[in-house]
Amino acid sequence: MTRRESVLLAARSFAALGLAAFFGSSVIRKKTTGKTVWQIDPKKCTQCGRCETACIMKPSAVKCVHSFSICGHCKLCFGYFQPNAKHLTEAAENQICPTGAIRRRFIESPYYEYTIDETLCIGCGLCAKSCTNFGNGSLYLQIRHDRCVNCNACKIEENCPGKAIRRIPVELAYLKKDKA
Amino acid sequence: MKLLPAIAVLLAAGLAASGFRWLFTVTVPVQTLRKSTEEGSIAEEKAEQLASKTDLTGIFMAAPELATFTATDTPSWPSFRGSNRDNIAPDFRWNEPKLLWRIEVGDGHAAPVVSKGRIAFLDYDEKREGDVLRVLSLETGRELWQRFYKVKTKRNHGISRTVCATDGDALVSLGPQCHVLCTSLTNGMFRWGINLAEKYGSKVPLWYAGQCPLIDGQVVILAPASEKVLLCAIDLRTGTPVFETPGVPGLGMSHASVMRLGDIYIYAGIGGIAGVAKDGRLLWVNKDFTPNVIAPSPCILSGNRFFVTAGYGVGGAMFEADEKGCRLLFKTDRRTLASEQQTPIHRDGLLYSVLPGDAGGLRQQFACMTSEGKQIWTSGTEDRFGLGPFLAIGQNRFILQDDVGTLTLAQADGNGYKRLARLPLMNGEGRDAWGPIAVSGNLLLVRDSTQIFCLQMEDKQ
Repeated sequence: MTRRESVLLAARSFAALGLAAFFGSSVIRKKTTGKTVWQIDPKKCTQCGRCETACIMKPSAVKCVHSFSICGHCKLCFGYFQPNAKHLTEAAENQICPTGAIRRRFIESPYYEYTIDETLCIGCGLCAKSCTNFGNGSLYLQIRHDRCVNCNACKIEENCPGKAIRRIPVELAYLKKDKA
Repeated sequence: MKLLPAIAVLLAAGLAASGFRWLFTVTVPVQTLRKSTEEGSIAEEKAEQLASKTDLTGIFMAAPELATFTATDTPSWPSFRGSNRDNIAPDFRWNEPKLLWRIEVGDGHAAPVVSKGRIAFLDYDEKREGDVLRVLSLETGRELWQRFYKVKTKRNHGISRTVCATDGDALVSLGPQCHVLCTSLTNGMFRWGINLAEKYGSKVPLWYAGQCPLIDGQVVILAPASEKVLLCAIDLRTGTPVFETPGVPGLGMSHASVMRLGDIYIYAGIGGIAGVAKDGRLLWVNKDFTPNVIAPSPCILSGNRFFVTAGYGVGGAMFEADEKGCRLLFKTDRRTLASEQQTPIHRDGLLYSVLPGDAGGLRQQFACMTSEGKQIWTSGTEDRFGLGPFLAIGQNRFILQDDVGTLTLAQADGNGYKRLARLPLMNGEGRDAWGPIAVSGNLLLVRDSTQIFCLQMEDKQ
């Protein structure tokens, strides 16, 4: 075997090993533990408000989450302001959130950033409903697993009119929105 | 060899001098380009100053075809909602529509007008950072000329929005930041330009200006809706104001366009609805319907009536007006008849619109209401249309477009709604297909946020 052939053989061996490692790890990753957790399917959620009241956790384990990639970052955000708000200021009477859990920060004209303070969010879904109706739908509800105790029978699931709550593999954990 | 020490000494001296200067240079913080205030960043202020100083003569470019282009006798669609501003097109057959051409355009919703074998629309060029008034051949979609002026505008649910107006000679556009440009339709020659924000103090609305100019005889009617001027009529030939109606306190610019109710110009602004006589006199102001945002324009009915609607939960309101005043007749719930973006259509005593997203189970369905406020039917759960446009054709048919650009032909009148055909023009992948539809004979012009399509329907038989 010439030196050239030796080098080529070594290179092919390394490539084969790399491919084997890649596919092997993919197969391993696909294996799930079989454990499941409760989650809200944003496509089915009607933001009826029962997540706030039906959950055994007080406040609810359901929180509003925000997809920045979907958000329009508007000055007049209907997930943040009351539809009839006369002034676009942070005054409480202008906000749709009953607990003031949405933070609004000016970025640069004409864009604003909206973030959720989960310690204040009660999962009422008022912001998500308004954002879905009038905006891009970037605000939506999810069950947060640092609060959910994963009951065998979920009270929210029992009360959900849209059948939006189901068990999903624990490895998935969340059902994220990737488009409006 | 004797040079080497000399060079070394010179280098050392240079280094020492630089170090000395560095040590004793007083450094000042670099001025930040960002202020976290409502007014925006310093960079934004500069951009706004530049916008106010935009030279509207801009840059003109013509294609070689312009010299040899001969106008064809095509039916015109000269302004927002067509010749009569009613969005009703003459009847044509829908039989295996054929795609004539397709072009890429800047992000937005500006629909074309059609006249003399040409289409014209105000585009936005993000690379060059400016509005572009473009005129194309209706037959081929090839550009004949364009006029560009620099004005930096960021994407905010698209950029371009408005529909131009033409009388076959002059072409008038109104840009997202209230720049009005008048040129010759045929050769693109600059006639005049006005920046409404600079001249009248107009405040650019949230999500930019959506107002489509109204040509009425020899003048173009615009609504600066500022403290100084509510409405103005500008001479098409000279660009000089024919009248300037004084501003109304608390009445600002909305996305709606000026509409004509007989001899009265109706403007639904933020904070009120105003009626202005043809000579510019302010006739009345009505404050019975004052939503925060108004995108649809007043829909004119017979019998001195007009209907104003908006999204975001406010529903709509029917008014009756003449020169003496304006009276609210009734309001409609968002589930009965309302619209978020598109202007409803009035045909044969009935009002038609796609209901807004907050209409519960009826959301985004096409709906029909009598002029007395009674809903007759909705299109059903299988026929929802988002925020897209709709157009009446002939006596009892409509074309409706959904958010992803799928076209639906429907038979709809007082007897009910029936879907006749569907055309997935953009294969369900169109994005924000909200720009109005334009018609010229058996040609249909539709768009989504980045492309315009010209479809040939079959001729009427």
